[in-house]
Amino acid sequence: MTVAVVVVGLFALPRAMPGDPIDSLARSGGGEITDPRIHAQLQAYYGLNRPLVAQFFHHLANLSRGDLGFSISQRQPVGHLIAARLPWTLLLAGTALVFSTLFSFFAGIAAGWRRGSRRDQALIAVTSATAAVPVYALATVLLITLAIVWPVFPLSGARTPFVQGGTPFTTAVDVARHLALPATALTLSLAGANFLLVRSSVVSGLGQDYLVLARAKGLPERLLKHRHAGRNALLPYLTVVGIQVGFALGGAIFVESVFAYPGMGSLILEAVRARDYPVLDASLLVLAMVALTANLAVDLLYQRLDPRVESWEGVAVSRRPRPAPMTPSVDR
Amino acid sequence: MTAGPPVLSVDDLRVTYPGPPELRALDGVSLQVSAGECLAVLGESGSGKSTLARVLLGVAADARVEGTVRLGESDLQGLNEKGWRAVRWRRIALAPQSTASLNPVLRVGLQLAEPQQVHLGRSRSDSDARSVEALGQVGLGDWAVDRYPSQLSGGQKRQVLLALALVCDPDVIVLDEPTSGLDPVVRNQVIATLSQLVRTDGRALVLLGHDVEAMAALADRVAVLYRGWVAETGPATRVLRQPRAPFTWALLNARPTLASLKELRGIRDGLASPDAAQLAAGCPFVDRCTQAVDACSTERPGLAAPEGEDGQRLVACLRGGLVTILRARDLHKSYRVGRHRSDAAVDGVSLAVRHGEVVGVVGATGAGKSTLAALLVGLLPPDQGTVCLDGQDLAAIGPADLRRARRRIQLLFQDPFEALSPRLTIGDAVREPLDVQKDGDPHWREERVRIEFSAVRLPTDASFLARRSHELSGGQLQRVALARALVLDPQLLVADEPFSMLDPSEQANLLQLLKRLQVERGMAMVLVSHDLAVVMRTADRILVLDRGRVVEEGTGTELLISPQHPVTRSLLAAAGRDRVFAGFTAPESPER
Repeated sequence: MTVAVVVVGLFALPRAMPGDPIDSLARSGGGEITDPRIHAQLQAYYGLNRPLVAQFFHHLANLSRGDLGFSISQRQPVGHLIAARLPWTLLLAGTALVFSTLFSFFAGIAAGWRRGSRRDQALIAVTSATAAVPVYALATVLLITLAIVWPVFPLSGARTPFVQGGTPFTTAVDVARHLALPATALTLSLAGANFLLVRSSVVSGLGQDYLVLARAKGLPERLLKHRHAGRNALLPYLTVVGIQVGFALGGAIFVESVFAYPGMGSLILEAVRARDYPVLDASLLVLAMVALTANLAVDLLYQRLDPRVESWEGVAVSRRPRPAPMTPSVDR
Repeated sequence: MTAGPPVLSVDDLRVTYPGPPELRALDGVSLQVSAGECLAVLGESGSGKSTLARVLLGVAADARVEGTVRLGESDLQGLNEKGWRAVRWRRIALAPQSTASLNPVLRVGLQLAEPQQVHLGRSRSDSDARSVEALGQVGLGDWAVDRYPSQLSGGQKRQVLLALALVCDPDVIVLDEPTSGLDPVVRNQVIATLSQLVRTDGRALVLLGHDVEAMAALADRVAVLYRGWVAETGPATRVLRQPRAPFTWALLNARPTLASLKELRGIRDGLASPDAAQLAAGCPFVDRCTQAVDACSTERPGLAAPEGEDGQRLVACLRGGLVTILRARDLHKSYRVGRHRSDAAVDGVSLAVRHGEVVGVVGATGAGKSTLAALLVGLLPPDQGTVCLDGQDLAAIGPADLRRARRRIQLLFQDPFEALSPRLTIGDAVREPLDVQKDGDPHWREERVRIEFSAVRLPTDASFLARRSHELSGGQLQRVALARALVLDPQLLVADEPFSMLDPSEQANLLQLLKRLQVERGMAMVLVSHDLAVVMRTADRILVLDRGRVVEEGTGTELLISPQHPVTRSLLAAAGRDRVFAGFTAPESPER
């Protein structure tokens, strides 16, 4: 159901934009098609003269065969384009997601556990700021300070161009150096809201009976903090992280364009400029699928982790507590 | 019950939750419990029991704690977190009341194993073995260790919490309402397990709650807590069977039993808000107590041995514990029949009525009930014997004192037509006692009359007050008579067959009204009737009268289940007992 809505939406959206791919193609060549016959001929060549509905079903038929179409502006199969770009975006968004998730979680627990402390207040101030600033502005600030003013990190791209060979290690370092700034920008922008969420769920758990009892049991602070408070904060957090995959991918598109990072973001941006419908359709669809898959994965994980999600029917069939037997039973 | 040195001793513990307004949860509580002993702390909800439990474990978050808590040789007050960690669970453990105390996202097995791993260095498998054993002791199978709390019922969670308190074999176990929410079978098993812990393993138990039956079964000593203040303490059997503090009596009196016939009423609500009373100077119970005197609101009573006690039991009450408001000793009254014969209507009756207590007097027609009622209120002089109101012999005091005494004791007659003068309007009839006693100014008296009319659920408009007795129905008229009896705010009401002329519906209404007014105003009452069913629903204690003598005495439940005297049995039969309890015969016993 979700997939169907996504496919239709992504098909309709680019075509609702003014302009058409033929004009863009011609403009990119420096000219303009003045002869309407040639225009019509080109339209027919790309199948753009057919009714939208027919185009849609053609598109659908292609999709079902695993064919993502052929780029009008770049003259190669869309599948190839995406295969070259997607890994970079996944690397960028994935790195940012992992770091922001881990940072927010541990910083959130630390801050919430000592609510009102200096550290808590400092973290709140910083994360609120980074969450409030748009991600491209954050990226631009990082770019200017750490790549131009103090050129610690490379300015753009994902790898240093024209470098051939090199050990896997030097390649990895090169990739990491290029990744550092974009990933930092994205991490910071994702971390803000997450941090506040974890912190507030830790704070709301502080006075709970189970924490009082855990403390009364004489457990050391780290167990209280991470096992008892942390586990309870983790679960609502996971759902949010699942939703954040979409945000991370969206943010990645902006960040990529700032750093000229060769990922899906740049591809989409180029396709928008060229009104390259097949590229737009396919790349947006792929990103949407990535986000949906991530959400599904998180939901499944959540069900495994949170005992409370278990449906009552499931309990009735398999794990309903038996009436307490007077002698210890062995059927565990 | 000779206990060794206390393993846990609490001295003058004061716990205040920061405000505003500040809340004093515990106010000068002192308790001791020794190894192999069970101390029960009995109290209403909100009496500070759970605060006490938290303070004993050092987890009373932001509360200010003063006083000393000693565990064995060590002083727990002033311990830092590290010091507390060494004490918690290894030496003192807690089974809290709230089932939300189990972490919802951790398996029961892990939560049971945690303290064992941390404090005793047990491996997880050793811990699990002990956990399973402890779960078995409280009636749960080993399947429970694999469960999450959400997969357990409320009662099962409570069992897990109990097992959790046992796993590290601490010296002292604090149990907050350990038996609430358990089904009877599990409850009995839990009690048996706890009993074994105390008697065989020599653990010290602190049992917090209001399950009197469990306390009677387990506790050696009982401390009664009211709003953070100890009202009574002493050996369990004595405190629970014969309470001496007004609060203990009132609390136990409101408790249902299996065959409660009495219409249960809680202790009357206080007038002041709890917080205000908390820090006020006087007795914390003063606004709900039926025997409070002026000094009670200014002076806080400390624990002291009441009269006739050996010092094991202590009661905190300025009046020295429960006070008997009316005590009749060996009353005799005969009516002359003919020249040389006299008939003994009342023949050696003694009875005592406490403040706030309802005593029923039942008997067949001609048993001497009405004569007894008249003797009690001083309408008739006894041939022999005394009637004392608050220790004053009514026959021996002067007229001024007698008049003062009269206003504290009122009589409600069987027949309101006879009791109310047809010449007076009903408003005047109710005001008359105030006029006689010269209370207040006329305006105040009018207001008072209206208050009483509204208290007995009658209209208070002038046209109604101007009616005369023949214009009212029997039920309305009996209410007017009740208003007249209540207008002086008596401490004792003697009601002689007040319902016998009313139809069942009117009787039920008036019965409930009377009981409610009795509780709200904290009056004592002597209810005289031939109708055992009515008396059983109202009275705390019942006397059976036959030919001028008390032949049996007990609570309604006792009389219903095991009536001893033939007269009681015949009264019960008349009330339809044998139809209700078909095939059930009371144990025969020799007549007394």
